[in-house]
Amino acid sequence: VPVPTITFSDEHLPNGLRLIVAEDHLVPVAAVNLWYGVGSKHEQPGKTGFAHLFEHVMFEGSAHVGKAEHMALIQAAGGVMNGSTWLDRTNYFETMPSHEVELALWLEADRMGTLLDALSQENLDNQRDVVKNEKRQSYDNRPYGSWNERLFAALFPPEHPYHHPTIGSMADLDAASLEDVSAFFRLHYAPNNAVVAVVGDVEPDQVRAWAARYFGGIPANALLPVALPDLSLPGTLGGEVRTIIPDRVPLPRIYWGFRAPVFGDPRLDALDLAGQILAGGKGSRLHRRLVREDRLAQDVVLFSMGFVGGSSVTAGWATARPGVELERLEAAFWEELERVGREPVSDDELERARALTEADELGALQRVDERADRLSMYATLFDDPDLINRMLPRYLAVTASDIEAVCGAVFRPDNRVVLTYVPTGAAARSAAAT
Amino acid sequence: VSESRGRGEARSPGATVVADRPTPGVPRPYHFPAFDRARLDNGLGVIAVDLPGRELVSASLVLPSGAADERESEGGLTILMARALSEGTRRRSAIELVEAGERLGASLHAEAGWDAISAGVDVPVGRLASALDLVAELVAEPTFPAAEVDRLREERLNDLLQARADPRRRAEEAFVETVYAPGSPYRRPAGGIRETVEQIEAAACVEMHLRRFDPSRMTLIVGGDLEGVDVVALAAERFGAWAASPTAEPAAVIPVSPGLQELRVRVIHRPGSVQTEIRIGHVGLPRRIDDFHAVSVMSAILGGLFNSRLNRRLREEKGYAYGASAGFDLRRAAGPFAARTAVNTEVTVPAVVDMLAELERIRDEDVTPEELAAARDFLVGVFPLRFETPPAVVGAIGGLVVHDLPVDELIRYRPAIEAVSIVAVRAAAEAHVRPAEAAVVLVGDADAFLADLENAGIGPVTVEREGPEAADGR
Repeated sequence: VPVPTITFSDEHLPNGLRLIVAEDHLVPVAAVNLWYGVGSKHEQPGKTGFAHLFEHVMFEGSAHVGKAEHMALIQAAGGVMNGSTWLDRTNYFETMPSHEVELALWLEADRMGTLLDALSQENLDNQRDVVKNEKRQSYDNRPYGSWNERLFAALFPPEHPYHHPTIGSMADLDAASLEDVSAFFRLHYAPNNAVVAVVGDVEPDQVRAWAARYFGGIPANALLPVALPDLSLPGTLGGEVRTIIPDRVPLPRIYWGFRAPVFGDPRLDALDLAGQILAGGKGSRLHRRLVREDRLAQDVVLFSMGFVGGSSVTAGWATARPGVELERLEAAFWEELERVGREPVSDDELERARALTEADELGALQRVDERADRLSMYATLFDDPDLINRMLPRYLAVTASDIEAVCGAVFRPDNRVVLTYVPTGAAARSAAAT
Repeated sequence: VSESRGRGEARSPGATVVADRPTPGVPRPYHFPAFDRARLDNGLGVIAVDLPGRELVSASLVLPSGAADERESEGGLTILMARALSEGTRRRSAIELVEAGERLGASLHAEAGWDAISAGVDVPVGRLASALDLVAELVAEPTFPAAEVDRLREERLNDLLQARADPRRRAEEAFVETVYAPGSPYRRPAGGIRETVEQIEAAACVEMHLRRFDPSRMTLIVGGDLEGVDVVALAAERFGAWAASPTAEPAAVIPVSPGLQELRVRVIHRPGSVQTEIRIGHVGLPRRIDDFHAVSVMSAILGGLFNSRLNRRLREEKGYAYGASAGFDLRRAAGPFAARTAVNTEVTVPAVVDMLAELERIRDEDVTPEELAAARDFLVGVFPLRFETPPAVVGAIGGLVVHDLPVDELIRYRPAIEAVSIVAVRAAAEAHVRPAEAAVVLVGDADAFLADLENAGIGPVTVEREGPEAADGR
């Protein structure tokens, strides 16, 4: 299968902004994806949730853009936009009709350079309320909604910055002053902490000229990069953590979490392929065993989240069918995880996993937004945007013994967190009766 | 982790940015990709759309007959039957099918919605022929093994249990149950309800497959880099021998629901909920309407754009919600119109009042020229972005087929949106947004807002406290 090589230019402006441009004129569309090297791991105790709060505040206006006008301008240009926050980074992105790319660059530069000119107590209070409703909607008022926060809290010690969730503590948000929030912005949101990738129907020289014009006057912050404390962790948790959580759910569900090799470590590539073989669709081992054959589970999931600081996370869950003993479900799940660390996967399984990975890669990279996102990601996290072209060969080079080795190291009882959600009260009685 | 002292202060102030907003460049012409239509001798429609440079092709075989075409007593059968298409064929077991697909790097899928059943695959172009072999097997030779159908039925029943515990799904189900009259398929979830799903057996899948599947009613759509690929020949080799079925069931006539005569408030009590899920709306519109483009612009202004009236008021002005939206679900017959949000419990009543006020205002006042421009410019400008990849193009053409729309529907789209006027938006709102006949469905902690709700005088209120959620003591 021909997965095309992506060619791109890669340079720094004098103020440190990294600019990556990749041309593709198939459709009149272009993507801008701006990564800031600031994530929830950069937050201080008592001041959690700031990186994510900015994902909201960044749309509330800057020197030349009014409140919520960023969205209005992008949408009126026929573009789409959003932002995302994660442990290691945040990013802001737009996909535009190609003749409107300049607008996206201007908007990103205006808020990078002048956000604090427009930040008011009123806007901060408003977006704090919005974030609280985001937390209620996405976590608190959702069945099993606390799993993510609980898993990370158990996998990482309290002093490690991956311990707390990206959405932060609502008490911290309440306590945040305008000055606290401004200081966070002044420190982290500078051109020498940012990568902007522009991919699609653009002329690279034109993009360079726009980047210089709009971002060139924003000064670097000499205090960057921020020295983080040592984030390294033992490769395994060093003992099992088990919690039973009564929740308003009709069916019990077991979540598992493991420490895993850091993002960029080839062992994580092997673990990704193991995830495909174990739970990637209807032909996978866990689906076949738990859902189809033994009929213990309603669904089963297993995947890895790559992080650069200390440890990645492999997580999974299975929802029990009514009346199924949780011990049986857990034993069957565990048996499959242990087996993949004890004996090599078959050639056929590995070939199928490779073919699917290749097709997924081809599918993902045909989109300009995905290409821009990955170029910025690899530049931000590894100083190596060309990883966009080398990840697929790395996946295809994974062997059965690589998979066996990493699974044997990760899927160990002393490296697992097990969260068991059980129905409370009447919900439990109703499910038991069916 | 310790706090660093004062490091925020030292950043040199005085960023220089360009105050002037850039003006747009010259748009590159864009046209929705042209496609060819052919018909095999057995009546199967074949559409090929060449998208140069797109090596991962998308193929979809569409039958314009869906969950809305099933009898009330078999609610859920269409969706389950479609899922069961990939559970085994005369040549292969489910696992053999999956593995054959995976070896091609192809994800096979079969599914149904209200208006259609479809089966398809996304696959590198060099393996299209082999992947279409599998699609042909799924649709023409499924065996519906009893053990697998039983499993899918149990999974759906469990899913229904899960739906009751999820406030969003609970609100959606209660909403359609309130606005549609008994006898309308849209009153139930497309996947069916417990009473009918419990009855589903393999024999019913076999029987529905016989009665619905007929190549003369179906269309194969293939999109991607098709240079050197003869799609019609590929289709003829795989589907040409499949005989038309003259006895296949015609599309059902979907009964029109009268809707409510007056605004009604229905509260599903969920003690301890930190948010209230809100749905406000009524029976909406079918896809085939004369004022489709005016309706599109009107709903973008009301609840589609980020700066829509609802999102601006509830999120950006009040901070009541993470987001608020409204829109029409356009189906073969009139699907629902709903405004949706989730708000913190204590602002439930003011949020409902605000939402109803916006539904009135879009009828009572003209939208501003700025609002009209924002919506039109977005819908026109975003058009090329919607069709960047083969699955998106194939899906859009599938929509034309399912709703029997003219081939130039997507070509006409942008000029038609540009022609929508303030008067047309107002007319669309007056005709199709009817807050006085709306159902207001709230899933949340009734004890926290019921007194305020009754005092607000919005309309007659009913509260449901029974059911598993009411008594679990939280």
